[in-house]
Amino acid sequence: MFRQTKRRTAGRRNFEDVASYSSLATSAYPSRLSFYETPPLEEITLEEFELWAIDRLKILIEIESCLARSKSLKEIELVVKPLLLKYLPLSPTTSLGLDAKAIAERRKDYYSHYILRLVFCRTEELRKKLVKNETTLFKVRYNMLQPNEQREFVSLNSEKLSWQYISNEEKLEKADELYAASGASIRNVLSIDNAGDATFNLTAEQLKAHIRQKESFIKLPFEKVPHLVSLKQVYLSRGFAYIPSTLQVSLLSVVFSDLLHNALIKTFQAIPRLEEDDRLLPLLNNLSRNFANIQYDNFGDGNTSDINAVSIATPQILQHYPLCALYLQENLKLNSHLKYDGRQQLGLFLKGIGLNVDEALKFWSYEFTKSSKMNMDTFNKEYKYNIRHIYGLEGGRINYKPYDCATILLRKRPQKGEYHGCPYRDLSMDLVVSRLGDMGIKDQHDINGIIEDINKHDYTVACTRVFELRHKQQMDASKPENLHITHPNLYFDRSRQLERNETKAVASK
Amino acid sequence: MTAEDPTMRSFNADSQLLSDTDRNASMHTSSKLYKPLSSDMLFYYERLLPFKQIFRWLSHSPKATREFTMREFAYEFRSGAYQRYNSFASVDEFKKSVVAANPTRFEVGAVYAVNPKERKNLPKSAMKPLQKELVFDIDLTDYDEIRTCCLKTDICKKCWRFIQVAAEIITAALREDFGFEHFIWVFSGRRGAHCWVSDSRARLLDELARKSIVEYMDVLSGRMLKMGRTSLGIKKPYHPHIERSFDVLKDKFSEIILEEQNPWATSAGSDTNWDHVDTLLSFLPDQGLRQALKSKWQDQASYSSSKQKWDDLTSVGQKVLKHQSQAVQLTDAKKEIIIYYMYPRLDVEVSKQMIHLLKSPFCIHPGTGNVCVPFDPFRNLSSDMEDDAYGFNPVNAPNLSQLQTEIDTWDANSAYKAPSESSESEAISDYAKSSLKPYVDYFSTYVSSIIKDELTGSNKRAQDLMDF
Repeated sequence: MFRQTKRRTAGRRNFEDVASYSSLATSAYPSRLSFYETPPLEEITLEEFELWAIDRLKILIEIESCLARSKSLKEIELVVKPLLLKYLPLSPTTSLGLDAKAIAERRKDYYSHYILRLVFCRTEELRKKLVKNETTLFKVRYNMLQPNEQREFVSLNSEKLSWQYISNEEKLEKADELYAASGASIRNVLSIDNAGDATFNLTAEQLKAHIRQKESFIKLPFEKVPHLVSLKQVYLSRGFAYIPSTLQVSLLSVVFSDLLHNALIKTFQAIPRLEEDDRLLPLLNNLSRNFANIQYDNFGDGNTSDINAVSIATPQILQHYPLCALYLQENLKLNSHLKYDGRQQLGLFLKGIGLNVDEALKFWSYEFTKSSKMNMDTFNKEYKYNIRHIYGLEGGRINYKPYDCATILLRKRPQKGEYHGCPYRDLSMDLVVSRLGDMGIKDQHDINGIIEDINKHDYTVACTRVFELRHKQQMDASKPENLHITHPNLYFDRSRQLERNETKAVASK
Repeated sequence: MTAEDPTMRSFNADSQLLSDTDRNASMHTSSKLYKPLSSDMLFYYERLLPFKQIFRWLSHSPKATREFTMREFAYEFRSGAYQRYNSFASVDEFKKSVVAANPTRFEVGAVYAVNPKERKNLPKSAMKPLQKELVFDIDLTDYDEIRTCCLKTDICKKCWRFIQVAAEIITAALREDFGFEHFIWVFSGRRGAHCWVSDSRARLLDELARKSIVEYMDVLSGRMLKMGRTSLGIKKPYHPHIERSFDVLKDKFSEIILEEQNPWATSAGSDTNWDHVDTLLSFLPDQGLRQALKSKWQDQASYSSSKQKWDDLTSVGQKVLKHQSQAVQLTDAKKEIIIYYMYPRLDVEVSKQMIHLLKSPFCIHPGTGNVCVPFDPFRNLSSDMEDDAYGFNPVNAPNLSQLQTEIDTWDANSAYKAPSESSESEAISDYAKSSLKPYVDYFSTYVSSIIKDELTGSNKRAQDLMDF
C-alpha cells in the first residue's frame, strides 16, 4: 500500500504475491460489506491516499456528530445515506460479476478504511472513537444490503462468527421456548420494519407462525451475547444462545468492533516502522487534526493564562462559562461546599481553562473555608488530596481530562444537594428558563427553540443554541464556521476566542 | 498455647461472653453455637482440614498447576486483620502456611497472570485476574421479609428449605441453560450456601459474562409498586428459565409456604402476621378484591391459616371479579406471589467480580464452629436419616467441638482395644475418624470428576492446537 523502494520489499513474501493478488480483485471483494481483514497490498498514489481518507472521514464525522446528539440508528441512516452515495458509493455484485466501477468503489472503501486505521490508532481515545463510528457505519451498511446479500455475507464469514444455523427440525422442536424467549424482540423488529403501516398488529398466534415458517435461528456460545442473556431475551440451552435472524445485525456489529479494536492495537504497535516515511506522516498528522475538531482535547495553553484563583470569580471570565460550570461555581460560592461529583466536574473544567494546581488550591480552599464552617486544617486533610488528584499529582497520577458533554450526560445524575451534570437535562424547565433570562436570553421565540431541543433530549444542541444566541453579534462580525458544542471547555475557549477577535478588530480600526 | 498465657485467658473470657449473648439471641441454633479458640483452630488445621483435596480442587490436577500456584488466598485473623495476596507453590507449603498463620478462616480468590505473592515487585497492571470459579452466594438474611421461622443470623431446618429450592433452580439453570457440569454446593457455616462452578469455560468467563449470568438468574429485583400494587414485572410469556423454575416452585409452594412457613396465619385480636397479609394483598390486581379479602379476614373470629387465605383468593375472586381479563390477571398475580415467596434470592455482587474472595470449603465458621462442608442438595450425606427430607440439615452440620470429641473417642477406643493394630490405625486420616468423613469423601469424588474431565479436555485442546 505504501510506495516503497524495491530494496525494502524484495524478498518479502507478501509483496511478491502482489501481482497475483491484484489479478484476483474480484475475489478480494466478494461482498459490499467487509470486516476488512486482509490488508491491501497494491500501490496507490499519495493523492488517492489523502483524498480517499478525507472522503471517508467526512462520513465518520457526520456519524460522530449524530451519535453525540444521541440520534437513533434510523435517523443516522437518513443522514448518512446521501453522503455515502456521494463519497463512498458501493454497487452490488451483479449477475455478471463485478464491473470495473464496482471494483474501484470497493477498493476505495477498503483502502480508506485502512488509512484511517493508521490515523486513529495512536491513543485509546482515538481508537475508541474510530471503532464506534466505523461500527455504526457498518450497521448502516448492513441494513442497506438486500436480504440475500446479508445471508451471503454471514456465510462468507461463518468461520469467524462461530455461528451455527440450526436445522429446521431443531427449530420446530424448540419453537415454544424460542417463542417465549425471543418473541418480544422479533415482534419489535417486525413492527419497526412495518412502521408505516398503522394497521400492523401481530397476534401471538401470527408471531408463533412467523417463527415456525419464516424466522431462522442461529446458535452461538452464550458468552458472545451477554446483553441478551442479562435481559433474558434469548433462549439458552447447554451453553448455547439461540438468536433469531432479526437480531443478527447487532451481533455482527459486536464482532466487527472487536476485530477492529484488536487490529488497531496491532497497527499501533507496527507504526514505529512507518516513522521514517516523510511523505505519509505529515498526511496522517494532518488528518488526525481534522478529527480533533470534533473531538475537543486541546486545552488551555497555560503560558498566556490570565486565569487565576481571583480572576475566575470575575464577570470578565464568568461570562465565558457554559451553564453547567456557571451553575456549579455559583453553588460552590453559595454553599462553601461541593460534593464529590461536582468537585470533579468543576475542578477538571477549571484545569481545562488553564487554572494551575497552586491557584486551584487557593481557589478551593478559599471557597471551602470562607464561611467558617470549615477550617484550613480540615480542608487540607479532606479535600487537598482530591484537588491534587485532579491534577494527576496523587494516587494513580493520571492526567485527567475535563469531561466532555457525552461523559457528563453518561455519569450519574445529581441527587439532592448536588449540582453536577448538565443543567439543560437536570434542572426543571422553570429553572432553565430563569437561568436563560440571567444569561440575557429573554426572547420567547428563542426560549421556545431551546425548550424544544431539551424535550427532544438534544441537550448539546440546546447548549449550542444558547452559545449562538449569546455571541450573536460577534459571530455575525467574524462569521466563524458553525460548530456544535460537545465540550464545556470548547464553549469557554470559543467564547474567549470570539472576544479576542473582537478586541483585535477594534484595535486594528 | 498454654492456659497460663494471660492474653489467651482474657480472650477466652471474651469469647465466652460473646457466645453467651449470641446464645440468648438465637434460640434455634443455640445447641451448637460456640466460638472456636485459636488452639481449636490449630488442631483442626493440623489434623482435620483436607488440604490435599482443596489443593486438587483448585489445581484441577493431582499436581501443582499455575491454577494453584498463581492463585490468591487471603487470611482473616482474630484481630480483624485481613491479609491478601498469599500464594503457594505446593500443597505442603499451603498447609504449612495456614498452620503457621492460624487464621480464623481463609478465602479463595482468582488466578493471576503473575504470582500474587510477588505483586510488590511488579507494576499494578500485571495483576490481571485470568480465571476464577463462577460463584453464587445465597444468604438467608435476604429471606427475612418472607421467612417467619427465624430472623437475621438464625437458621433452622424450615428455612433451609429455601436454600434447597434455590439449589434446585440454580442447578437446573447451570446445567441445562449454561451447559456447566462441575459445580458443588458448600454450606457457608451459618445461614447460607455457596455454589462453586469449576468448568474451565466458567472459570474463564469475563466479568461482563458473569454479570449477565447473575442477571439472568435474578427475577425478583424487578419488583415495583405501581398504583398501590406490587408486581414483579415478569413479562409474558415467561422466559423458559422462569417457566421451568415456576414448575418446580409451584409443587413445593403448598408445603413450604402454606404449611411450614405459614406467613399469613392470623388470629382474631392479634396483630401478628398482618404485615405479611398486606404484602400478599398488594400483589392482587383489583382494589375491590383486595378490600373484600381484607375485610373478610379481619372479621374472622378465630384462627385462619395461610392455606385458607390462599384458597380465598380464588373463591372470593370468582365472586368479585366480573371480567374474564380480571380473572386472568388474578391467575398471573398468584403465579407472581409463588415466585416472590420461593424464587432464589442471590447476593449478586459476589458473582460479578472476578477478584472477589470467598471462604474456602472446609473452613470453620468463626461464629458457630460449624465446618463449611460441601453438600448435595438432593441427597443427605450424613448418617442421620431424619435429615433425608432436607438433603442437608444445617443444624446438624459437623461442628468443630463435636469433631474433636469424636476423634478423642476414636483414639481412646482404638488404643484401648488393640494396641497391636496401631500401625493400621495410623494409616487412617483423622477426618475419617469423625463425622466429617462422608463430606470429605463426597468432595474427593467430585474433585476426581473435575480432574478427569480436565485431563481429557486439555488433551483435546492440545489436539486443536496441533491442527492449527
